[in-house]
Amino acid sequence: MVMTEPASRKVSKPPDEPAAAPATAPVPVEEMDLVKRARRGDLAAYDELVRRYQERIYATVYHMTANHEDANDLAQESFIKAFQALRSFKGGSSFYTWVYRIAVNKTINFLKQRKNRAQMSLDDLDFNAEHDPDLVALISEKTPRREVNLAELQEKLNAAMQKLSEPHRLVVTLHDVQGLSHEEIAKIMDCNIGTVRSRLFYARQQLQAYLSDYLK
Amino acid sequence: MNQDTENFEQLRRLLALKRHEQPPPGYFKHFSSQVILRIERGERGTLIDRLLWEAPWLQRIWAALETKPILAGVCGAAVCGLLVTGVICSDRADVSTVALVPATETESTPMALANMSVADHPLLAKPVLLEPSSTNPITPAQTDESLLGDIGKLRAQPASFSFLGGN
Repeated sequence: MVMTEPASRKVSKPPDEPAAAPATAPVPVEEMDLVKRARRGDLAAYDELVRRYQERIYATVYHMTANHEDANDLAQESFIKAFQALRSFKGGSSFYTWVYRIAVNKTINFLKQRKNRAQMSLDDLDFNAEHDPDLVALISEKTPRREVNLAELQEKLNAAMQKLSEPHRLVVTLHDVQGLSHEEIAKIMDCNIGTVRSRLFYARQQLQAYLSDYLK
Repeated sequence: MNQDTENFEQLRRLLALKRHEQPPPGYFKHFSSQVILRIERGERGTLIDRLLWEAPWLQRIWAALETKPILAGVCGAAVCGLLVTGVICSDRADVSTVALVPATETESTPMALANMSVADHPLLAKPVLLEPSSTNPITPAQTDESLLGDIGKLRAQPASFSFLGGN
């Protein structure tokens, strides 16, 4: 199975744009074949589609819920729902964007129901976190946060994220964490790019206020 | 926009921390197989699920009901109200069929009804049974020979008593 490298990763991006924007990548030709086969009930083809996007879908749901168990359930249910609804997939957008939309809608509905019992169950930081140049730079600077370890910082960051409204959290997650472009986020959230930009700006302002102790 | 970008640069660096949050090792090895297993177990979608996906407006209503308990309660009450109204209306319809009795008799007083014999009452009167004869090929299909048959009919009579003799 050939995995095509998203073209957008090779293009230099403006500073505000994240490094990777996988959803804007051209749809691999074989993806539609897989979709067609899955639509006919070929579970092996659908398995391949799930494998392609499982990490990104899980990550988005996880960053929205800050809870591994919830993210696991929601990500699985999103793929199951997508399989059930494959017949309604017209191919107007990429399968990836379409699944993303399902996952996002499912997650937002879930969060509205969960509102009063938000409980974090965070994933561990991987080994590379300690060597991430951005994070090293952030922690080594002489600010009040210098004594904060990564785990604490992670918890504070997630707590601040949870204070945002769902649409604002989603924009920050998709753009600043997942690395999607404004255009792709607009497609997923079914709104215009201006709305995405304004939500992103507001969400960042809010986060900055919540995390002022850890930022310059 | 550039100034904003610079202002948020620190925040963006901090947000990069979230990219390092990873599920337990080996988690994604089994993820797709779990999804496929759940699909094979029969989660291919119920009729309602399919309907919801075929009709997006229905999906929106369902989502609104799921997330707004007050709205769900109001809808539930409305459905119950409709049900009760339906039951009441059907009862009235039954009464109106009873009212098909000739006006002279429906307007009669309870006393008159009480004095009326069972056989005279239009609702309780037995149908005229045609005697089989050589000129009448039609014979009754069945005759009500059961003793309980009359009792059942008498139960339908409106309760009304009169004491002719008095004390």
